[in-house]
Amino acid sequence: MTGALISVRDLSIRYGGPDGRAAVDGVSFDVNPGEIVALVGESGSGKSSISLAVMSLLPNSAHVGGSILFEGRDLAACGRREMEDIRGNRIGMIFQEPMTCLNPVLSIARQMTEGLVRHRAMSRATARARALQALADVGIPEPERVMSSFPHELSGGMRQRVMIAAALTLEPSLLIADEPTTALDVTVQAQVLDLLVEIRNRTGDGVLLITHDIGVVAEVADRVVVMQGGHVVEHGPWEQVIRAPREAYTKALIGAHMSLEEALTDGGLHG
Amino acid sequence: MTDTATNTRPRRLPAALRRWNIAVGALILGIVVLAAILAPWIAPYDPFKMASGPRLTGPTAAHWFGTDELGRDLFSRVLLGARLSLGIGFAAVAVGLLFGVTFGMIIAFCPERVKALLLRIVDVVYSFPDTLLALALVAFMGPGVENATIAIAISLIPFYARVTYGLAAVERAKPYVEAAQIAQTAPARIMRIQVLPNILQSLIVIGSIGFSSAILSAAGLSFLGLGVQPPSPEWGSILASGRNYISRAPWILIFPGLAICLTVLSFNLIGDGIRDLTDPKSRRRRS
Amino acid sequence: MLFFVARRLLTAFVTILVVVILAGVLIHVVPGDPITAMLAQSGSADADDIARLTAQYGLDQPVWKQALFYVGNALRGDLGTTIRGGEPVAELLLDRLPNTIALAVAGLGTALVLGIPMGFIAAVNRGRAADFAVMLIAILGVSIPGFWMGLTFIQVFSLHLGWFPVAGTSARNIVLPALTLGVVHSALVARMTRSALVDILNEDYIRTARARGLREHQVLLVHAMRPAMISVVTVVGLVFAHLLGGQVITENVFSWNGIGRLAIQAMLQRDYPLVQGFIVIFATSIVLVTTSLDLLYGLLVPRVRRR
Repeated sequence: MTGALISVRDLSIRYGGPDGRAAVDGVSFDVNPGEIVALVGESGSGKSSISLAVMSLLPNSAHVGGSILFEGRDLAACGRREMEDIRGNRIGMIFQEPMTCLNPVLSIARQMTEGLVRHRAMSRATARARALQALADVGIPEPERVMSSFPHELSGGMRQRVMIAAALTLEPSLLIADEPTTALDVTVQAQVLDLLVEIRNRTGDGVLLITHDIGVVAEVADRVVVMQGGHVVEHGPWEQVIRAPREAYTKALIGAHMSLEEALTDGGLHG
Repeated sequence: MTDTATNTRPRRLPAALRRWNIAVGALILGIVVLAAILAPWIAPYDPFKMASGPRLTGPTAAHWFGTDELGRDLFSRVLLGARLSLGIGFAAVAVGLLFGVTFGMIIAFCPERVKALLLRIVDVVYSFPDTLLALALVAFMGPGVENATIAIAISLIPFYARVTYGLAAVERAKPYVEAAQIAQTAPARIMRIQVLPNILQSLIVIGSIGFSSAILSAAGLSFLGLGVQPPSPEWGSILASGRNYISRAPWILIFPGLAICLTVLSFNLIGDGIRDLTDPKSRRRRS
Repeated sequence: MLFFVARRLLTAFVTILVVVILAGVLIHVVPGDPITAMLAQSGSADADDIARLTAQYGLDQPVWKQALFYVGNALRGDLGTTIRGGEPVAELLLDRLPNTIALAVAGLGTALVLGIPMGFIAAVNRGRAADFAVMLIAILGVSIPGFWMGLTFIQVFSLHLGWFPVAGTSARNIVLPALTLGVVHSALVARMTRSALVDILNEDYIRTARARGLREHQVLLVHAMRPAMISVVTVVGLVFAHLLGGQVITENVFSWNGIGRLAIQAMLQRDYPLVQGFIVIFATSIVLVTTSLDLLYGLLVPRVRRR
């Protein structure tokens, strides 16, 4: 058994019945503690489905094959209540559209504390204090004001940070970030990415980063898994995949991202 | 994304069962329409003839629905009632649609300020229950089947106008209408030739809603004595006349009531069914 | 926030004004001479009476003057007097208004208590047997004429089983009429609740709530129901208006001493002043209720207030 946080083996996801269209087929990869693994591909490559499969958040009509081991445990074998205990608590997830991912009629305070109240049986007051700390940790100014606000009163970047903070309060060992920067402005994107790296450094969590933007991958990933049409095309450490890609598709992805190619040839990018 | 609880829930119903509304609705409506059309010929007795049988007898072979307090055959009366109800419903909806759709379209094509004002007026009238509107009108116009029909038609106009406005406004914002306007096409022509066909489907749905409403209003008005007058056997009217005898003769309550219920139900089913078929939102979502 | 409230109240006032004006001139819809029609019902019809009444109702004046006259009086609380007994209309109606309100509230409450859970069950079980069953019941409910349901209830529960008195206006009596109104309108409420919930359950924030590991019942009851209830509040006004419409007939069926029953009697007796007064009171009630609900909605949804 590897010490991997998440171990995906031969994962397949089919929609519309066991013989339906395979959105994902034969996918295997690991995420180790303290590692940022990027799952990169175009839309339709199946990468989002994988993250949902890990969290068991796929619709009932989806059929999942293969195995997903989390800290050695087979997630497919977990019943509903067990999964509910794992979600948020051991595996945190943040999503792409901060606009729609927060409940518009509940206050930020409510949405940030409910996880703590649920998983840690904290009192509202304690949870609130913890949430305030988390907001400060992700670099949000005036945490008090934000706590009593409603989602529509905050900017996209702020909302994404709130989501990250909320996920962090529960101190999960794995954070799944599904296109966390796609809906944000470029400047804010950089901030959020820096935040993810900082979190990884600080807490030693594993991060599974889902993105279609190879530029993002190049900035923060430790290891890269390239996907196309539901299959893994190439995978390996950053050094290998980004600097010296073997597959034509990977090369094409990098090539299509202009500034990345320049940056690479200039040699100014880290791993 | 549809609900994502784990796979322990029962399976979905087969698709065929979920499309049942139109079929059942059309079936029931078909029977009612047939009854209405053929009533004068298939009614076993004259609906107005008293003492066709002994008074207040229950359903028998001779009188399928029994007899009422004046000895009239209930089955024949209910049959003729179908004619009355459908007739009133049809007339009211036709007139209501005509005026309502026209108003709605006109409002949609009005300049901003006028539109806002007219819309306000329509909304105000629309906020009142249509049964009440019809009631108030009949109260002043006087009872009777013609007045009731007119009143019901008028009570349907705000609803049709409002819905049509909504649909037309959406269409108006679309490029093809803009193109026609640039080409100097007369607004009336745009409305008639271009917008109307596109909203036809939705209009059919609301047409059926109006029908249900009209029939319920007609029955209600007649029940109160303000609509169809006795001895005409409108279903509501039959219920009104027989009201005092219901404990002795429950069939007087059951059959006309069921008739109203089933007819209205058929329109609702059809309307629902058509809406389900055409509304993209109710298609099953997939992630 | 204040601006929002002020605007709503102004709209309400204007609406009521318009209705009062309309009620005032509605008398012209009467074919022939309204005065003769009115008097025909109460027996006497000599020339003096006709002249007196014509002058009293301002029917010899131009229409706009009549309207003004009626509105002016209405604003002072004077809605005229009945033909039958010469009693002040406003008093007669306001006396009975509490009964109507009581029944309306009971009916609405019943509709919500029955309808919301039904809609919830249907939405959560979308596409499955429970959904089908609930929607079947709902469509039946919307198809049943209120008066028929009322009569049936009387038959079964009052006459056959003797559980409730047949007619009258008291606490015990409220059960059947409230149930009649409630059952029919619960169908409407159920459909709307289901519709709102189905849309909400497809939203991203529900997925976020689940991803947080909240128990399914927490997700449904807090994250889904809260926005759904807000949606439902917006339509409660519509449901209530519809309910009041049905209530007029229900009061008649159960001999419930409210303004609806009075109005029907007035209509049958051609007592036009009473009918006009009824329209005014009724319309005012609806406007007040829908405006209150609008304000409530504005309070609940923080976003709406800022407009």
